Amino acid sequence: MIYLSQLMGNPVYAADGEKIGSVSDLGIATGEVFPRVTSLAFKGPGRTPFMISWRKYVDTYDENEIRLKVPATEIRFSYLQPDEVLIARDILNKQIVDTRGMRVVRVNDLKLSDTNSTQLRLLGAEVGARGILRSLHPALERGALKLARTFGKAIPERIIAWSYMDLVERDLSNVKLSVSHKTLDDMHPADIADIIERLDPRLRGQVFAQLDDEQRAGAMAEFDDDAMAAELMGNMNETEASRMLSEMDPDDAAELVSELDYDKAEKLLRLMGVKEQRAIRQLLGYREDTAGRIMTSEFAALSEDATVGDAVELLRSLDEDFETVRYVYLADEDNKLSGVVTLNRIIVSEPETKLVDVCTDELVTASPEEDQEDVAEKIAKYNLLAMPVVADDGHMLGIVTVDDALDVLEEEHAEDLQIAGGAPADDEGSHAGDLVWLLRRNAWFFLWIVGTGLVTVLLRQLGSDLESALLACAALPAALVLADDSISYVTNFFLQNDPDDDDSPSMLGFTVKSVGIGVVLAALAVLAALALASSAHGDVSGVVDALTCGFGAASVSILLSFVLCPIYLVYLRRRDEKNEDASGFALSMTAMAVALVVFVALVVVRRVIF
Amino acid sequence: MAATPAPAKAPKRRLDPKRVLAAMGPGMVAALAGADAGGVATYSSAGAFFGYGQLWTVPVMCVLLIVAQETAARMGCVTGKGFASLIREQFGVRLSALAMLALLISNTTVTLSEFAGIASGLGLFGVPAIVSVPIAALAIWMLTMSGSYHRIEKILLAISCVFVTYVVAGVMVGPDWGDALNATVIPRFSTDPQYFSVLVANIGTTIAPWMIFLAQSNVVEKNAHADDLPYQRIDTVTGSVVASIISWFIILTTGAVLFPAGIQVSSAEDAAAALQPLVGDYATLLFGAGLVGASFLAACVLPGITSSAICEAFGWERGSDRSWQEAPVYRGIITAVIIFSAVVVVIPDVNLFGIMMLAQVINGVLLPVLLVFMVLIASDRHVMGEHANSRAWDGLTWFTIVAVVILTVVMFVLQAVGL
Repeated sequence: MIYLSQLMGNPVYAADGEKIGSVSDLGIATGEVFPRVTSLAFKGPGRTPFMISWRKYVDTYDENEIRLKVPATEIRFSYLQPDEVLIARDILNKQIVDTRGMRVVRVNDLKLSDTNSTQLRLLGAEVGARGILRSLHPALERGALKLARTFGKAIPERIIAWSYMDLVERDLSNVKLSVSHKTLDDMHPADIADIIERLDPRLRGQVFAQLDDEQRAGAMAEFDDDAMAAELMGNMNETEASRMLSEMDPDDAAELVSELDYDKAEKLLRLMGVKEQRAIRQLLGYREDTAGRIMTSEFAALSEDATVGDAVELLRSLDEDFETVRYVYLADEDNKLSGVVTLNRIIVSEPETKLVDVCTDELVTASPEEDQEDVAEKIAKYNLLAMPVVADDGHMLGIVTVDDALDVLEEEHAEDLQIAGGAPADDEGSHAGDLVWLLRRNAWFFLWIVGTGLVTVLLRQLGSDLESALLACAALPAALVLADDSISYVTNFFLQNDPDDDDSPSMLGFTVKSVGIGVVLAALAVLAALALASSAHGDVSGVVDALTCGFGAASVSILLSFVLCPIYLVYLRRRDEKNEDASGFALSMTAMAVALVVFVALVVVRRVIF
Repeated sequence: MAATPAPAKAPKRRLDPKRVLAAMGPGMVAALAGADAGGVATYSSAGAFFGYGQLWTVPVMCVLLIVAQETAARMGCVTGKGFASLIREQFGVRLSALAMLALLISNTTVTLSEFAGIASGLGLFGVPAIVSVPIAALAIWMLTMSGSYHRIEKILLAISCVFVTYVVAGVMVGPDWGDALNATVIPRFSTDPQYFSVLVANIGTTIAPWMIFLAQSNVVEKNAHADDLPYQRIDTVTGSVVASIISWFIILTTGAVLFPAGIQVSSAEDAAAALQPLVGDYATLLFGAGLVGASFLAACVLPGITSSAICEAFGWERGSDRSWQEAPVYRGIITAVIIFSAVVVVIPDVNLFGIMMLAQVINGVLLPVLLVFMVLIASDRHVMGEHANSRAWDGLTWFTIVAVVILTVVMFVLQAVGL
């Protein structure tokens, strides 16, 4: 085993012992699983680069030197062939994609085959820590290995074979690679999208440009970050971009087009085929987050008098990239959706059978204006693979497929979680972890400290003593915690009740209920104050006065917190309608801040008046 | 790709104002964040110790800052890669390890000085370091880890604009303008060993290595191309000029107020005293707020830049959207830098102002290491193509490198002799 780092810079001796240069690179033939080293590049006197054939001239090689078979005068120089790759220039230190591990890595060293055999082959790229250590100094690697062994651990090499490398920066598309070479293009679009998201913005564009239309369309639909997808689109030229859009499923294409600015979107749509263009425009006509927006207009439909044979014929004639067919839909003479046949029934039935005889007419449909979440829930409830979207006049517009429904549910779930005060919807920050969570859960405590500080400072300015100020603040946690709870109350109500549902409580009902809760809780606080006051013995009027003052202020603050509930609910629903994110944590902080300000103001005002 | 014909190479010299505004930002941020704890400490010291004696450095620094920042932005525009990535790909593992070590040391000391700035700024409000530093460290750690400091970036920038008051203060104290201008144009030297260490610190804080990395990564993130270069240049130049004007006025004000009074700046209170003529008793308040804001901003940016560059060079996962499992090194370095800085600052009786100055000296000493990498890459036609360094740019960068090396040597020699 020998590594490139051990060969680089070694002296090259001609047969007569003359030193003619030092190794600067190796060329490999790219067509094999373990590519042969075909050329040796070295720097001669004055750093002039030379290249010679490995097979013809190299006699022996090891960690110290390379000896050639012939004297310097008999060497004929060669040039880099189009299918050759210089491994130090093109691979070492570069970012490559590990197409098996599906990661972007940097090559620290290159592992070559044994020095005993006459042929030197590239075994793979070393991307682990050992490569770094070895390149720094081989002794470092040995030391680290020894150290690891004393702790009973091994540091494995992390080698990526040539057949799983994609050199993102060097376009190898015109090089004929071996059959087994797995490049980015062979990966699943979802994995390609993952990889591209991890690259620098410039490389993203380059890698994306190397993919074929179909792969691009697939990857584009899989990007998590819509803004990034739009930027990649922006960098493509218009014909290519429109061709890619035509290639995509209309629903994904519509989503992407809606991210672009108007002029650009118009231009691209105009360049597309009439059919695709109409499909996308139609989808774009529906509001965001409705069934109309996420449906696809690619579905299989036949008239009522068609037979199973016709259905098979239709399926055979479909384009390769047609949305997967799970059902064949039937339309009556008025072009209304009248029945649905599952693929299984078509397969098991005789070709002559009329579709009408095997169809189900218990149809579950959605209207294009229906909320996407409801559609997704219906799909889950009725165990469908796709749900037809039907216009008011009964004719069919498209289908919402189960994979789109899953995306919707995932998205909505994340949004709900955020409103409920859990992890934020965007996963940035969710890693900051337990500490943040703890701080969030106990925000009231910190606000209590802030409030106590404020009250103490203000009251002392007015001439009160420290004790009565502190005693008054004993009631503050009640106000803060209940303000926090009032937001949980609002968010729970918001998540459980849809404003469009008929059986959900009305706004008025909610208002009455929350005010009622507020009154009861405020009354409890007053009762607590009275109880404390009456249980006092002896001459402690100062203490009792401070406590009642605190609890009085707390009760007003509590009442206000619950009176404000309907406003928060309206705010949440507004945000939801506009499809903007809302954070439950921000809401509860607001509510607690309001409670705090009211409490402090009341305590201070009371002190000023009396 | 040939479908849209490239616009004919007509001399389209007119600059699009919209694109100018869009390109604005990174340079400005770097400039304003440059007026951080170390910057204020250094410039205040320069003024307090030597009066107008170092005013001449400001225009020189301004040119050198423009050279460094412009080169970084140009490298980013042309290659689309970060500085660390370029170093690794051009110079291999060994030399990148050297460069990254220099960056790590220099940035850690700067972070340290930012914490010292936060501690002494809050100290002006009576908050002891043992309280303020752990809280600040925790806040900075969480903001960097979650990548959400961008949300408060603008607020901090606004706070650090407080240092613009030096401009007003400088006018108010009624300095001897003739003398000041004379000192700006004609260099004045001194053989005081302190003079040279302040000079090195001055260079270190003005052309900080982290600003070079920040400028380049900003350009890369925005995916600016070679044809965006004119806009990037405008941003770089305005940012550098603004930074220089602020530093000129800090030296002028402290030189006019503190130097005649013989106040040796050894703490934030002393430095704040320079603002007394303008705002009277509010000087400490204003100075403290500005110092905390600017230091906090820089402290949020620094650990991230450092860790990101190191991981970029060695090919480890990076970015605040990666978890501990995915990017252990990235997160580990950030955490280590913050903890180290915070722990050093809370050591009892440590001289906070001394730390701020010392960090800038270290920065200055290490600067040539990274500048050498920069000039070699930027003048390499294989990498930069037609946008490779011009002679003048090469010359200026090499001049900076040689000048800093000579100054450093002189500084050490004088200090050795002086002791």
